[in-house]
Amino acid sequence: MRQEACATAPELLPVAADPTTADADTALRETTMEAVLAAVGSLGYRATSVRAILERSGGHRAQFYEQFGSKEACFEHAYATWIERLGVGLLGAAATAGGWRPGVRSALTGLFEFVEERPEIARALLVEVQVAGGPALARREEALERLAAAIDGVRDQIDPEEAPPEATGMFVVGGVEACVCDALAAGDPARVWDSLPQLMHFAVGSYLGREAAEEEEEAARELLNRRADRGGEPG
Amino acid sequence: MSHLHLVNPEPRGDLFEAELAPSAPLPRGRHGIPADLVNAHQRRRLVAAMSGALAEHSYARVTAKHVSERAGVSSRTFYKHFGNLWECLLAAYEDAGTQLCAEIESGCAECGGLSPLEGGQSSTRLQSGIDAALAFLAVEPHLARLLGGQPPLEAPALAAARRSLVERLATMLRQARDPADDAIRPPGLEERLIDAALSFVSAQVAAGNSDLTRLGPELTELLAGPSLTPSQAR
Repeated sequence: MRQEACATAPELLPVAADPTTADADTALRETTMEAVLAAVGSLGYRATSVRAILERSGGHRAQFYEQFGSKEACFEHAYATWIERLGVGLLGAAATAGGWRPGVRSALTGLFEFVEERPEIARALLVEVQVAGGPALARREEALERLAAAIDGVRDQIDPEEAPPEATGMFVVGGVEACVCDALAAGDPARVWDSLPQLMHFAVGSYLGREAAEEEEEAARELLNRRADRGGEPG
Repeated sequence: MSHLHLVNPEPRGDLFEAELAPSAPLPRGRHGIPADLVNAHQRRRLVAAMSGALAEHSYARVTAKHVSERAGVSSRTFYKHFGNLWECLLAAYEDAGTQLCAEIESGCAECGGLSPLEGGQSSTRLQSGIDAALAFLAVEPHLARLLGGQPPLEAPALAAARRSLVERLATMLRQARDPADDAIRPPGLEERLIDAALSFVSAQVAAGNSDLTRLGPELTELLAGPSLTPSQAR
């Protein structure tokens, strides 16, 4: 590309000369990003090779290096994309639940469903990112901060004299994340459901006190019973 | 530098044990130190070097060579003590966890002990234990990162060690609290609180907070769990 063309490129809309090729590139990129997360979540970040990624994506080595350049860059792109999707999904579930308490419950159940359905991706996003470090870890911090800020939104409804410590949002989010990571590390992702009553008690009680904590713990138990009746495996 | 008598002394394990500085390398050449003490000293240095090497190189890049260089021993010596990097990391994690628990018990002992049976107020016991933990981790921030981080998939034994530590600290938290609270708390709540506290402190270190001791009052309030505050929001 010529120098002057480079200078104006960011202002132009992307133009695909061949839509079919562009679609195929996008699809391959998406498949590769999913493959790197699946490989990392299955083998561990250190043990994941480009070959392991390609075995899962079905792509070619040359295309991989053309699109991403390295395993590290591929993981960073994949991480940024998927953690954003997960975050948006959880915040969306909370926002449409009809209140703060149902919102916390919806976000937690949404997270648990994701962990149970996509344990390898969840392991890459929550556990192995700490091995990868770098920009992906910074994205994780941003995502946790957004979730903490959302859960902290209930402060508006609390008497300032009874407000919990400033760090409560990060404390709660960190506790939830650690609980999920423990189930993933144990190789039993469905086990996260067992902790729903405790986590609801913990999250809601940290802001609204014991009475609300007990109500939410009971509501979580009922939810697990209904889930079991429907044939779900609450763990 | 260790302070040793170097002129081929009679092997006296107790004397050497008392005089060997844990972080200093052993003197070169013939020093007459019993082999079992040399082994124990090397192992201790490797375990101590592990968390520093991890902090410097990160999980993604740390190697057994980084650890052995930091400990001042050869790679061959490293593999004499540990089968691989993760075994050394596990030893470092367990050692750090043991130190943390000892510091908390010691802190609580100063205010009458961990258990309510030993007297003292619940809030004072909790505060003392947390202050002692934070004082220890403030001096050893690498250990705060190690204890609070999520173990990699390649080290499943480390995840089990983390679980054991969380259970041990949760038991201490239960002991430190007012026993009347037990009836109204769901089983496992303390484990969630400890998980959250370890992550919180680790995140503070990662964010560059160099004065962990200032977190004491806030962390005490958070670990005390839900209060009797009436519910307000729906």
